[in-house]
Amino acid sequence: MRMVSRKNKDRVARWLSLAITVLAIIPLLWIICSVVVNGISAINLEFITGVPAPYGESGGGIANAIFGTLIINAMASIFGIPVGILTGMYLSEYATKGKFSSAIRTSVESFSGVPSIIFGIFAFTIIVTNVRHYTALAAAFALGIMMIPIVAKATEESMRVVSDDMREAAIALGVPKWVRTVKIVLGVARGGVITGSLLAFARISGETAPLLFTALFSFYWPTGIDQPMATLQVLIYNFALSGYQERVLQAWGASLLLVMLVVAINIVVKIVTRQKYKEGI
Amino acid sequence: MDNCTYEKLDISGLDAWFGDKQALKGVSLRIKPKTVTAVIGPSGCGKSTFIRCINRMHELTPGNRVSGVVLLDGVDIYKSVDSMDVRRKVGMVFQKPNPFPNMSVSDNVVAGLKLIGAASKKELEAVAEENLKAVGLWKEVENDLKKSGASLSGGQQQRLCIARALAMRPEIILMDEPTSALDPASTAKIEDLVKTLKAETTVIIITHNVQQAARISDMTAFFYLGELIEYGETRTIFESPKSPLTERYITGRFG
Repeated sequence: MRMVSRKNKDRVARWLSLAITVLAIIPLLWIICSVVVNGISAINLEFITGVPAPYGESGGGIANAIFGTLIINAMASIFGIPVGILTGMYLSEYATKGKFSSAIRTSVESFSGVPSIIFGIFAFTIIVTNVRHYTALAAAFALGIMMIPIVAKATEESMRVVSDDMREAAIALGVPKWVRTVKIVLGVARGGVITGSLLAFARISGETAPLLFTALFSFYWPTGIDQPMATLQVLIYNFALSGYQERVLQAWGASLLLVMLVVAINIVVKIVTRQKYKEGI
Repeated sequence: MDNCTYEKLDISGLDAWFGDKQALKGVSLRIKPKTVTAVIGPSGCGKSTFIRCINRMHELTPGNRVSGVVLLDGVDIYKSVDSMDVRRKVGMVFQKPNPFPNMSVSDNVVAGLKLIGAASKKELEAVAEENLKAVGLWKEVENDLKKSGASLSGGQQQRLCIARALAMRPEIILMDEPTSALDPASTAKIEDLVKTLKAETTVIIITHNVQQAARISDMTAFFYLGELIEYGETRTIFESPKSPLTERYITGRFG
């Protein structure tokens, strides 16, 4: 009798958790499906190679925004990833139990929870108001700062789990500490560092608020990194609210490209992580 | 060997502490070049601390201290030499094989030279081959030189680590129970290797296995509670130990 009731409870628990999981996934699938369904018809050769058509004219593309997102992300990465790695390296290998180290650790942790609009206003205040025009550099600065805590945390955690056996092996060979840290500990931890950097890249690829304060938008090809620059995120925001049906459709198309970029990064992360475990660290 | 008056290592009055706890008490001994010295004794007797004082690794943990004199070829390693240089002259092989998984087999062998930028690429290749041959690993890994050092079997990894230590051309190689994590066949290979190593260098090996000490060493040092109880030729130690403690330990009555 008891046995039957226990089996029934098991069954209920299993079906309940499955049902709720499905329920939770529905909105996610819904979003992806509507992005694909609405976006796919916008995508054609002109869409991915041309610049936006003037208001009132049909056609045109979003190539300048694709390019702009990639340029700003690349500039943010050039700044954010090295700083993040060095911060993580400090926290893992050099930080003591003192106040200074714990202040850094706390600020890195709380930084990752700060809303992105704050970084936008920050870059706006110290860069845009000084040069008196919107600039892609300010956008890269804001997004780069956002990458730092993500990369730093990933670096710190993956360097920490590197066995002390590795550090001792390097010490016993008479290798100076900084070489040990960079070539051995960071080298062994590189899978985690790459993963963290890619996730940070994916994270900033979706940020819009900081861009509205910094790179703003442009209907043309970028003329310089110190000028306003189109991005997919701001293009979606502008076009979706434009009221023109064709622009709304193009916003869907841009959304699809952005989702594809993020999904592609996550697939690369999966591959990198799998390799990391294969090496048996 | 007996009539060699030159000492490779001359240790006198060596004390070592972990914080307040004294782990070595007044250890003095002399080791002749091109010999194998086995260090035996029960767990916690200071064996590891002892060898870690010879390459200055004991002092790395904050709070640890060392006092006494350690002369390597007549030079005080605690006074006249930088700790990094000491470690380049005194190699170490650990209990658990620890090749660098982010480096290939051949890069592992030359890791020390490469990381301090001490040789050209051509030289490094030759050094890798020479030392893989010296540890009898060349034939087994000849075609896998570019694979990760972590892809080898445990016994191969340990020989790779010995090759890595040898590549620095050390005056002394310290081994901290190098076979305790290995299967019997791999253990036998390492034991044979240790016997050949003394043609080139001086070996100090910690072992939990007294039969292993008897098989491979010229000299044996027995430690107990941080003190060097008895030190002498291995045969003498095993056939007629002076101290009853030594006798009880090697006959397996404690430890």
